[in-house]
Amino acid sequence: MATLLAFDTSGAHCAAAVLRDGLVLSARREEMAKGQAERLMPLIAETLEDAGLALDGLDAIAVGTGPGNFTGIRLSVAAARGLSLSLGIPAIGVSVLEAMAEGGPRPALAVLDARRGAVYVQGFGTGLLAEPAMVADPAELPAALPRIGEGPDARAAALPLAEAIARVAAGRLDRAPQRPAPLYIRPADAAPPRDPAPVILE
Amino acid sequence: MERTTGHDRALTVLGMESSCDDTAAAVLRHEPGTAPVILANVVMGQAALHAPFGGVVPELAARAHAEKMDLAVEQALAGAGLSLGDLDLVAVTAGPGLIGGVLAGVMCAKGIAMGAGLPLVGVNHLAGHALTPRLTDGAGFPYLMLLVSGGHCQFLLVEGPDRFTRLGGTIDDAPGEAFDKTAKLLGLEQPGGPAVEREAARGDAARFRFPRPLLDRPGCDMSFSGLKTALIRSRDQVMAGRGGLTRQDRADLCAGFQAAVADVLAEKSRRALAECTARGLRPTAFAVAGGVAANQALRLRLTEVAGDVPFLAPPLRLCTDNGAMIAWAGLERFRAGGTDGMDLAARPRWPLDRQSPSLIGSGRKGPKA
Repeated sequence: MATLLAFDTSGAHCAAAVLRDGLVLSARREEMAKGQAERLMPLIAETLEDAGLALDGLDAIAVGTGPGNFTGIRLSVAAARGLSLSLGIPAIGVSVLEAMAEGGPRPALAVLDARRGAVYVQGFGTGLLAEPAMVADPAELPAALPRIGEGPDARAAALPLAEAIARVAAGRLDRAPQRPAPLYIRPADAAPPRDPAPVILE
Repeated sequence: MERTTGHDRALTVLGMESSCDDTAAAVLRHEPGTAPVILANVVMGQAALHAPFGGVVPELAARAHAEKMDLAVEQALAGAGLSLGDLDLVAVTAGPGLIGGVLAGVMCAKGIAMGAGLPLVGVNHLAGHALTPRLTDGAGFPYLMLLVSGGHCQFLLVEGPDRFTRLGGTIDDAPGEAFDKTAKLLGLEQPGGPAVEREAARGDAARFRFPRPLLDRPGCDMSFSGLKTALIRSRDQVMAGRGGLTRQDRADLCAGFQAAVADVLAEKSRRALAECTARGLRPTAFAVAGGVAANQALRLRLTEVAGDVPFLAPPLRLCTDNGAMIAWAGLERFRAGGTDGMDLAARPRWPLDRQSPSLIGSGRKGPKA
């Protein structure tokens, strides 16, 4: 019997769910554009309370690693790592794209708005060997594949996000745990200095 | 929570810091009536990560903190030979600083405190620096503090663990920032402080005469941004003549720059000490903290200015950002009854002195420091 706590703050929300042996014991989701850092831990406590559980009743933490808002995915990953350390249980990172595709049709593309006219996209069951998450121009996505997630032709994800994260993580409990890391996909905006260093005469 | 009665007992504290470019965790133990003991002090720096960009890149810093903080804590606990069950308290920097990094530290600390059932205390990073003389030397109140780093520069009159009066500060750049920019302009490596100090040691400080901003005005406020402009002008004049800088030119520019910074800080320190006297206070010490306090030439000048007042310069590893100072400041706050809930907010701006008018950033987000 395995009990998982999953949470996610990759977008304008704070979401958590408790899953035991494939059964959702409790789930909460609040929409918010900011304030996730203040709300996340209280929301987790309330979700556990709804399930009638204490933290020491958990076997693993599951956390949404993005893609999404950089600050949002970082704060959940940092909290998951802290909980993992203090509870002595693994924290399992789950991509939000993978969670969106969980329980949905195959083949399919999970699509998430990446702003600046682009989308984050990942293929599932497309028959291609490599199906990495990437940034793409939505106009260039293969039209024949059904889309799950955000955008005009996309169907909604089959499962609520936190529940889906928990389910994906539950399937990985027997793997050697790796610490969760944010899935940024986009590099940090950082440019080397423009003015060249002065010439040093010998 | 019924913890208030035990605040005067021996406490073991975890301190976490991530407000700039160091991911730091420390374990500290203090028994009332004895000197605090630092059981472990882990600092994972990011200098190499930011070096190509000539300054700290906030997003890169935040990314590193989020994946290093728990590792730093594990290392600190292992170094102290303790487990989380041996701790009484988790203290974490909750601001001011680069918000992405502060958030990563705060959220990791919340996860640790929540899972271990420990109280959480959010600490002002500047209070961490300002209370360090009590950690290292048991300084008694009141004392005068010069906090001088890459992000901050201010004189603080410290009269209690939560009583800080800012006597003056920079109205623009911090000196550490000016050292970094100088190094960048002269093709020296980052961080610029040690590089500029090394070059200055073999340079002629009299060859280039740089301005001493705000010395002609009363008070303890300072300005360092004009120094950079003056340095660029002198550098470009030399380079226009011969197409580059000789090593001696560079050393002389560094020496001139460092002398200007030292003159400003020394004179303003003299005035800050006089201001204490004018307020009828006898400071028990004049203390420095922050990375720039590592500069030996500057320390020498400040020692002279201190006169009869004992001059305290904590060891370098406790002058620059570290977790021990956060553990100590958190412990002082906790002993005074302060704790935070799981809704603790990270604050990019958080002035220590809530009374004095702000020097920088008085806009919608409030004063910076």
